[in-house]
Amino acid sequence: MQGGSSGIGYGLKYQARCISDVKADTDYTSFLTGTLSLKEENEVHLLRLSSGGSELICEGLFSHPNEIWDLASCPFDQRIFSTVFSTGESFGAAIWQIPELYGQLNSPQLERVASLDAHVGKINCVLWWPSGRCDKLISMDEQNIFLWNLDCSKKSAEVLSKDSAGVLHSLSGGAWDPHDVNAVAATGESSVQFWDLRTMKKVNSIEHAHVRGVDYNPKREHILVTAEDESGIHVWDLRKAKVPVQELPGHTHWTWAVKCNPEYDGLILSAGTDSAVNLWFASASSSDDKTSESPVESTRQRVNPLLNSYTDYEDSVYGLAWSSREPWVFASLSYDGRVVIESVKPFLPRI
Amino acid sequence: MATEAAPMDEKAKRMRDLLSSFYAPDPSISTSGSSINASFDNINSTSFDADQYMDLMIKKSNLEVLLQRHVQMAAEIKNLDTDLQMLVYENYNKFISATDTIKRMKSNIFGMEGNMDQLLQKIMSVQSKSDGVNTSLFEKREHIEKLHRTRNLLRKVQFIYDLPARLQKCIKSEAYGDAVRFYTGAMPILKVYGDTSFQDCRRASEEAIEIIIKNLQTKLFSDSESIQARAEAAVLLKQLDVPVDSLKAKLLEKLEQSLDGLQIKPEEASTLVEDDDSSNDTESNDQHPAKIHEDAVRGFSEAIRAYREIFPDSEERLFKLARALTAMHFEYMELYIKKRVSAADFLGIFRIVWEDVVLMDEVLPEAALSDLSAEAAQVTLKQFVARMFSHLQQDISDTLLKFDINQKEAVEGELLKVVLEASQKAVLQGTTNIFQDFRQLLDEKTGIFIKMKDLISGWIQKGSQDFFRSLEAQFLVLSGKTSSSNDIEGKSSDKIHAGLILVLAQLSVFIEQKVIPRVTEEIAASFSGGNSQAFENGPAFIPGELCRVFHAASEKLLQHYIDTRTQKVSVLLRKRFKTPNWVKHKEPREVHMYVDMFLHELEEVGKEVKQVLPQGTFRKHKRTDSNGSNTTTSSRSNTLHNDKMARSNSQRARSQLFETHLAKLFKQKVEIFTKVEFTQESVVTTTVKLCLKSLQEYVRLQTFNRSGFQQIQLDIQFLKAPLKEAVEDEAAIDFLLDEVIVAASERCLDVIPLEPPILDKLIQAKLAKSKEHNNNTVSS
Repeated sequence: MQGGSSGIGYGLKYQARCISDVKADTDYTSFLTGTLSLKEENEVHLLRLSSGGSELICEGLFSHPNEIWDLASCPFDQRIFSTVFSTGESFGAAIWQIPELYGQLNSPQLERVASLDAHVGKINCVLWWPSGRCDKLISMDEQNIFLWNLDCSKKSAEVLSKDSAGVLHSLSGGAWDPHDVNAVAATGESSVQFWDLRTMKKVNSIEHAHVRGVDYNPKREHILVTAEDESGIHVWDLRKAKVPVQELPGHTHWTWAVKCNPEYDGLILSAGTDSAVNLWFASASSSDDKTSESPVESTRQRVNPLLNSYTDYEDSVYGLAWSSREPWVFASLSYDGRVVIESVKPFLPRI
Repeated sequence: MATEAAPMDEKAKRMRDLLSSFYAPDPSISTSGSSINASFDNINSTSFDADQYMDLMIKKSNLEVLLQRHVQMAAEIKNLDTDLQMLVYENYNKFISATDTIKRMKSNIFGMEGNMDQLLQKIMSVQSKSDGVNTSLFEKREHIEKLHRTRNLLRKVQFIYDLPARLQKCIKSEAYGDAVRFYTGAMPILKVYGDTSFQDCRRASEEAIEIIIKNLQTKLFSDSESIQARAEAAVLLKQLDVPVDSLKAKLLEKLEQSLDGLQIKPEEASTLVEDDDSSNDTESNDQHPAKIHEDAVRGFSEAIRAYREIFPDSEERLFKLARALTAMHFEYMELYIKKRVSAADFLGIFRIVWEDVVLMDEVLPEAALSDLSAEAAQVTLKQFVARMFSHLQQDISDTLLKFDINQKEAVEGELLKVVLEASQKAVLQGTTNIFQDFRQLLDEKTGIFIKMKDLISGWIQKGSQDFFRSLEAQFLVLSGKTSSSNDIEGKSSDKIHAGLILVLAQLSVFIEQKVIPRVTEEIAASFSGGNSQAFENGPAFIPGELCRVFHAASEKLLQHYIDTRTQKVSVLLRKRFKTPNWVKHKEPREVHMYVDMFLHELEEVGKEVKQVLPQGTFRKHKRTDSNGSNTTTSSRSNTLHNDKMARSNSQRARSQLFETHLAKLFKQKVEIFTKVEFTQESVVTTTVKLCLKSLQEYVRLQTFNRSGFQQIQLDIQFLKAPLKEAVEDEAAIDFLLDEVIVAASERCLDVIPLEPPILDKLIQAKLAKSKEHNNNTVSS
């Protein structure tokens, strides 16, 4: 078995699905995570990796009114984050602010900045533009995609535009192109769809079924990585979206989430329901000239793209986040509420 | 004597020195050269100073010594005197003899002058006499010469007058060579005087010559004439200044026309070969095409030989022609092997072509035909080898696809088994045949084959390597694993029957374990040469690599099979969980029908697997083993499960969760995702495990009310028995089913399980219903 217990662990009290890197925190490597418990008092944990990188400290613990299905930290303000939550019967999404001086308060309460309450159906996710300050937000439910204008000072969010994907395409998640503030990808039942936010119209789609997770490559434009239930991981070039540029075998069971490293091009992390996190290297060269099938090339392609498999989990892993401050560090969250921080440094020289 | 000898030598030496000093122009040289101790006391040196010597002597010596010295000196002086005297005498003698000699010479020369004068006089008289004779004969000679010239002229005139008659005679006797010689001889005269004196003559001879030219031309074109004669005719024609080029062109054209007849057209090729085979029985029968072809080529080569001799200066065109023929041959051969051709047929054609080439090469050795054709043959052979392999690959994929037309029935009958066996046979038989054919190639004795033996071996090795590689690629494409035809996942899985994937997987195993070792043996036995020369980077055929490739492929394909199967179930489950509103679910009335569909899918998998894969050999052993290690696990999760059932109180949910965690902590981690093996049980088990895991994941994404939970509970309870029936690893199934219940209870707002009696009743009802359904289908 690879990947013993090198990681740093932290246990949440309840089951959990989502973890997010606090990108705006430039002083520490920190992560936000929220629990998913139908019947208990849910919590949001602010975790910070100690400077030595040997300990994971709970920096803040805030109660959250409902079970959290999605959580995303604001990329330009470390105290702001968004959640998607469910009461069991209905869904809601909100923007929260961590109160100042929370360390001194006994039971710090999250301040609700805004509610994204235009949705009817099951909300999937709230997206922030990953590359910088942008006062727009995207939220998705199964049928609709909303573009919000967020004003933190006024504590308000209003719908700028919306589009419906249609009843047949039940959307399940999405990603915002870090290279283009107007491009958003959403995963649906049978395809990955792309919107242009200026016109709020569907512009493109990849016909590929059962996509669970999607992530843009932050280092290279037009490159998109998708994770599917049975068929593993695919790397796409959006300029020729018919055929994937590369295929990775994925996980034994479903591949749930996939994340591109913010710094090292080609380094891909995937989390699966087989209780494992896999670290891949999708070599850029093979994706560039896949057509040339010289024997040398083919042998090179046969080099196992799987760098490492972290298998020290007890349950399915749904939450996955690279740290943007220390790009060789990632946090993973398994369903049983265990946060594990791992460093991929030992595998970097091989790239 | 010895004592005497030394002074004697000394004496002689001194004499010589003195003499030489006397004759030498520079006395210093001789003295410095000869005297050994040139110091003061050396009397012989030129720098000798008598006074100084005396002073030194007087100072140094006493009286006695001086006296002694005096005596010694006196003796020396006396000696010197006699020496000088002798020297003078000797020289004098020589002078006297020299004078004598000169005197004698003088007297001898004295009478010679007179004799010389006499000789001169005699010679003068001879010359004058010969001049006289010459002048007297000159006139007569002139006359004779003139007469001779006239005679010659007359003879020539006579010849020209005779020329027409002579030419006629030549024509009659067909002595065209003489005729031409005569005519060309007379030509200059005819040219000059033809218009005046010899007009008639000229006309007559020209007529005759015209006839000759005509005759010569017909002779040149007539094939019946011997080559020698034809060549002579050509030469003669050339001598007669007849434009030969047009003739040459005509001849060439004729040759080119005959070239068309020599082509081995692909359509005729087969008949050629067939008849070639049968010709062994009927040797005398010269009607079969091969013989005809051979004769034609022989004729052609003869014609070329003739042409060459006739026009030795235009070989280039011939070379071109011959090359064209060879190139054409090989071109047609390439066309020919585009269709399916057995090695024997190929060799037959090749032999014919090669014979042609050899024939031509004999005629035109300079055309480098053998090199040209060797190159062409290499290309053709290489293509042939490649084509053989591609045909084989085509065969295999045909066999695979042939059976897959009626997909629906595939599961019912033994079709998969048939496909598998057929394709296995195709691969094995195909490779065996192909190597037999190749062995024929190697056994071929035609010149070029022997030369290329190594190359052929190399090609075959490389060919088989490429073949297996592309076969593997094709398997993957056939299975839809590599999306060469970019399809949507659902579409492609519809298109490609899952059973086929399974067959491909098993076939890969077969190739890895049976075919490749066999091929390796074949290659080692017959085609081992040629590695080192043709391929610098090691041997072209690497069985180890191929085994690895196919091993990987088989695993990939098996995984792909399981994936496509579970995908189907996944779609099923997805629909099941997406459609109802689980929070407002009604009380469960019966087991949901998706369970049936799920079980049906599993049944299909079981059927397919049974046809294709071998049974696990140590099934029994494995089961007891897993029981041994996992009974505690399952029992514990069972008790936990029962506990949970009993404890319906929602307020205890939290401690329940805690307990779950705790239980998990202590529980041995059940290996859900084990490596798939190539056995029926393993595949079924893996499929079931993956499906149950999917079920669990779907459950986790929902929120249930009490009834929803109960529905799940009911479905799972129903699944339990048939799944355990089908699956090897009961513990894992138990665990996974429990996990689904746990997941559902975790996602349930109000966990109150169904009472066991109700559960039982509903399940019995379902069983009865399905039995009835089965009976109905059977009866209908």
